[in-house]
Amino acid sequence: MTINAVPDHVPPEMVRDFSLFTSPGMASTPNGDPHAAVACVHAGPPIFYSPYNTRDGRGTWVITRAADQRRVLQDAETFSSHRSIFSSALGENWPMIPLELDPPAHGVFRSLLNPLLSPKRVVVLEPKVRERAITLILRIAASGTSCDVMKDFAFPFTVSIFLRLLGLPDHRLDTFVGWAKDLLHGDDVKRPAAARTIVAFIDELATKRRKEPVDDFMTFIIQAQVEGRRLTEEEVRGIGVLVFIAGLDTVAAAIGFGLAYLARNIKDQDLLRREPDRIVLAAEELLRAYPSVQIIRVATKDIDFEGAPIRKGDYVSCAAMIANRDPAEFECPNTVDLAREDNRHAAFGYGPHRCLGSHLARREIVIGLEEWLARIPAFRIQNATAPITSGGHLFGIENLILDWS
Amino acid sequence: MRIIVHKTKCQGHARCSAQAPDVFKLDDEGYILPGDIEVAEGQQLLASRGARSCPERALELDPTPAARVVPDAIEPRVWRA
Repeated sequence: MTINAVPDHVPPEMVRDFSLFTSPGMASTPNGDPHAAVACVHAGPPIFYSPYNTRDGRGTWVITRAADQRRVLQDAETFSSHRSIFSSALGENWPMIPLELDPPAHGVFRSLLNPLLSPKRVVVLEPKVRERAITLILRIAASGTSCDVMKDFAFPFTVSIFLRLLGLPDHRLDTFVGWAKDLLHGDDVKRPAAARTIVAFIDELATKRRKEPVDDFMTFIIQAQVEGRRLTEEEVRGIGVLVFIAGLDTVAAAIGFGLAYLARNIKDQDLLRREPDRIVLAAEELLRAYPSVQIIRVATKDIDFEGAPIRKGDYVSCAAMIANRDPAEFECPNTVDLAREDNRHAAFGYGPHRCLGSHLARREIVIGLEEWLARIPAFRIQNATAPITSGGHLFGIENLILDWS
Repeated sequence: MRIIVHKTKCQGHARCSAQAPDVFKLDDEGYILPGDIEVAEGQQLLASRGARSCPERALELDPTPAARVVPDAIEPRVWRA
């Protein structure tokens, strides 16, 4: 790791040795608990500067309080999300849409996409989601008394739902998961290679649908109009790439962390199995305790924010896993209480960029837990195995071997 | 009871309507419809739970609508005079 020079405008007393990438518990760790590991920041100041807090090693301000994160993320004029994080890996500069657009352009594309993933739309998708979960779990139950939840359930479940939404074939599921893993968790060689592959794939799909429209997501995008015109090729690519990568990793991680918690807490597991009506509320608490995303904004102007001299161009980190453990927002934040009420957690972010797929994600997590608990008897983590967790830009869980023998 | 809807703060989390779908109505994009909400007698508990569930703080409980009477006896131009 390189030690970055701290910018001159950052007071030395505001610099802290903390990073979502390099702090203890952030590297791949057997039986790790990266969410608990980052909660320790709440013992310190509400805002500080971390000299190394992005994948490419840049420094960021770290906003720890939920209320302050809400202010940052609701104020897109001061805190921009235009970073070209994906295309910059290719040495290019185009935004993922709508994620890396600011208002008002953001709202135009957001309005186009919102109805595709609205609560109403998710009700229509639900039967297929449940059918997919049941098929996978029945297969697991029939083939033994243990499995790797990530490989055998969480990924095939969430990714296939998402491929169906995009109109992509199921048989390429392993290929797509491989690309996503390389892109989100790969090294400096794998990442740009995966990015190039995904762009080529999205461009090719768009070309195909232009020639032969079908009833799917990509056809909708290339036929859509914004402000009285068709979308440009770059806009189609920006949407396609975002939707492709956004659906591949996060929901599987949420299911994995949730089932890992239940495997270690048999009482809670029994309670949800006996009283499945509690699962909807419990899923919110699992989302609060184990979210996976750090959001980064770029200051568009100089601003003194809660005592921090933020200057134009500074990066500002709003990590959901930190906000969700804020004792000023949540009573006993490090205790998982599956009956927690008024759980206004930050797992899907705040402000205009609230996760577009949040309604589908919630249904997938609830349905995944419901069907798993209904069909798999009391399960625990298999002896002599350890789930490997990691921090970083996206918190993840690599494996989860459960045993119900 | 009345709920003041700060429409511009709504970001479509739809937590309110998950708690009380009859009280909090959403548009086709999944965002709250504009306008404050008068809550019927039997729905107050669910409605206040729904208002409290908003991650953006877009919904404000106003338990005393009587205190918000507009002083219509005073003409605006009298103030300006």
